[in-house]
Amino acid sequence: MMTAAFKGFAAGVALLATTQLAGAHDGVTHETSNEAAQHLTASANTPGFPDIKGGDFNLVDQNGEPRTSRDPSGQHQLVFFGYASCKAICDVALPRMAEAVERLKKEQFSVTPILITVDPERDTVETMGESVKRIHPDMVGLTGSETALAEAYKAFQIEKSLVYEHPDEGPIYAHGSFIYLLGPDGKFKTLFPPVLSSERIAGTTAAYIKGEK
Amino acid sequence: MNHILKMSGTIASTALSLFMFAAPASAATAETVEIRGEVIDTWCYLSGVMGGPDSVTGSAHHTCALWCAAGGIPIGVLAQDGTIYMVLKLEGEDPLAQSDSIMKIQSDVITARGQHYMRDGVNYLVVEKVVTNEGITNVNHNDFGVVPGFAIPKKK
Repeated sequence: MMTAAFKGFAAGVALLATTQLAGAHDGVTHETSNEAAQHLTASANTPGFPDIKGGDFNLVDQNGEPRTSRDPSGQHQLVFFGYASCKAICDVALPRMAEAVERLKKEQFSVTPILITVDPERDTVETMGESVKRIHPDMVGLTGSETALAEAYKAFQIEKSLVYEHPDEGPIYAHGSFIYLLGPDGKFKTLFPPVLSSERIAGTTAAYIKGEK
Repeated sequence: MNHILKMSGTIASTALSLFMFAAPASAATAETVEIRGEVIDTWCYLSGVMGGPDSVTGSAHHTCALWCAAGGIPIGVLAQDGTIYMVLKLEGEDPLAQSDSIMKIQSDVITARGQHYMRDGVNYLVVEKVVTNEGITNVNHNDFGVVPGFAIPKKK
């Protein structure tokens, strides 16, 4: 019962998310990420925000190369935990993240989008490359051993649980859905609820890159 | 219907409540607040993909809200003034944890005591204690039905 219910629900959500996202609106409109960033700068963060340890992962990318939380090209990083075949929240958060990267690119800010898998059995070095490139050409897919991934989940306080086994699509997971911004050194900068628009993600990211946050 | 919780604003205006910019911040640290409001599914409420704000709260949206929470969508507390507080942590849980505790309070009207943080223009709440839980008081399924209908599977 649970499995059939979730199957129908996930399909409905995915359909609505893909067909109606263009109408999503967060109420604050800016022409450019720069403008949004300037606006955001006016709002100070409350000190003492709950610490997210972040960083400190040692995983493997889709090319089989080891990758830590430090960006090899010295760029800020947007990180999401999910899986390539996810048709629920990943189908919303990852395109938003990709859009934010594109917005930033237009304003000369290079940011690396990263997907860290919660489904290492299916998201392997052999399979992740094609999946992540469909989301964004610069996206890095990270997988690894259960131990290495568990350390990454712990660092970012990610929980995952198997919801059910879909007869055609395989395991369906529930997992944390915040998007994390890391500095080039892998240190946690901030996080974004997945309900934020790509414009807001880009604007805030730009403010962090420029050192205004 | 609980008139306190009946929202009349547009999605844009309610979303603005979540993402409103802080007044020039003077808080040296987080303040302890008590917020009374409905626990909401932030994705459906703010995205508008399932309908207007009146229909994606309360009993009409409860089933979908449970699915969303189970899938990892952060919950929020919709306060009486329309401000939405993203719940970063519930009492006794790790920050960002998707736990059974969330499922037990989804769509309920609660009074939450905790620390309020503004970060990048978003209101966050670290709940130290759910002081009161009035249950689901926004009984709006008679007005809207189940929103969305597919939240409850059809019998085969």
